[in-house]
Amino acid sequence: MNTARVPTEAEIESLVGYEFPGGEYTIEHWENFLLTECTGGELLPDGMVHPIALFHVPILGANTSIAEMFALGQAESDSSIGIESYVWEMPKMLHEDITYQITAQVTEADRRREGKRTFDRIQFCFEVAEPGGDLAARCTITWTYGRSTL
Amino acid sequence: MKVEVGDQIPDWVMESVRPERMRTMAAILRDPNPVHWDRATCKSMGFGDHTINQGPLGLSYMVNMIHAWAGPTSLARLVMRFPMVILDGDYIVAKGEVTDIREEAGERLADCRVWLEREGTEPPLEGEATVRLS
Repeated sequence: MNTARVPTEAEIESLVGYEFPGGEYTIEHWENFLLTECTGGELLPDGMVHPIALFHVPILGANTSIAEMFALGQAESDSSIGIESYVWEMPKMLHEDITYQITAQVTEADRRREGKRTFDRIQFCFEVAEPGGDLAARCTITWTYGRSTL
Repeated sequence: MKVEVGDQIPDWVMESVRPERMRTMAAILRDPNPVHWDRATCKSMGFGDHTINQGPLGLSYMVNMIHAWAGPTSLARLVMRFPMVILDGDYIVAKGEVTDIREEAGERLADCRVWLEREGTEPPLEGEATVRLS
């Protein structure tokens, strides 16, 4: 039985605007190689990074983690998290050995009820910029945090 | 590249979703969720002896399909929803079709409906892709 305190609606809504520390991230060849292998695809030419990196590079580069994102929404357990959607915008391809600047914040947060199910919906927006400041990618992640006791 | 509305993107097939790839992904992603690497947890949740694929891995099958069709720099935008989980051992086919062709900022773009197909279930992943056409 889950006995964790459930955050109030106001607490969840107050997350909008929360900014992660931000930072930078450099994708090395070994990491791109292993990521690409996980997808079952071929390594891309000319040091291009497989877009699957757009899941973890923004998160780690913003100096946060999946665990911290779970905790921010006061998830009752790891398995209470659901994925609503990912939106990846890619004005440019990422490349190995380039140091990208990452910023991130919570852009939406609210409580929803669908039938008997209650959950909190939290949206995170990460921006990945090239060293000169041009946007390389924007990733919007929307997760649901199930509330089994509500 | 000659593309028309209604064209089908050639299928991309993942013959068998492999649990060791989920474990590698979990390590790289620093993903603490045991559903990706602990069969006991998955069993307790009703998934039998199968671990659950990371959402981004399923999404990557769509990316591979688009790269094979239109080239490695072609993907401009991807919107993905995850109505069902993918499990280790699943046979998955990435599929897509062109729904619109348009010009934006001097680029010729194809909007596509994309989805993953698994026999006997609804599509576990579905979404939309915007693809640059050279």
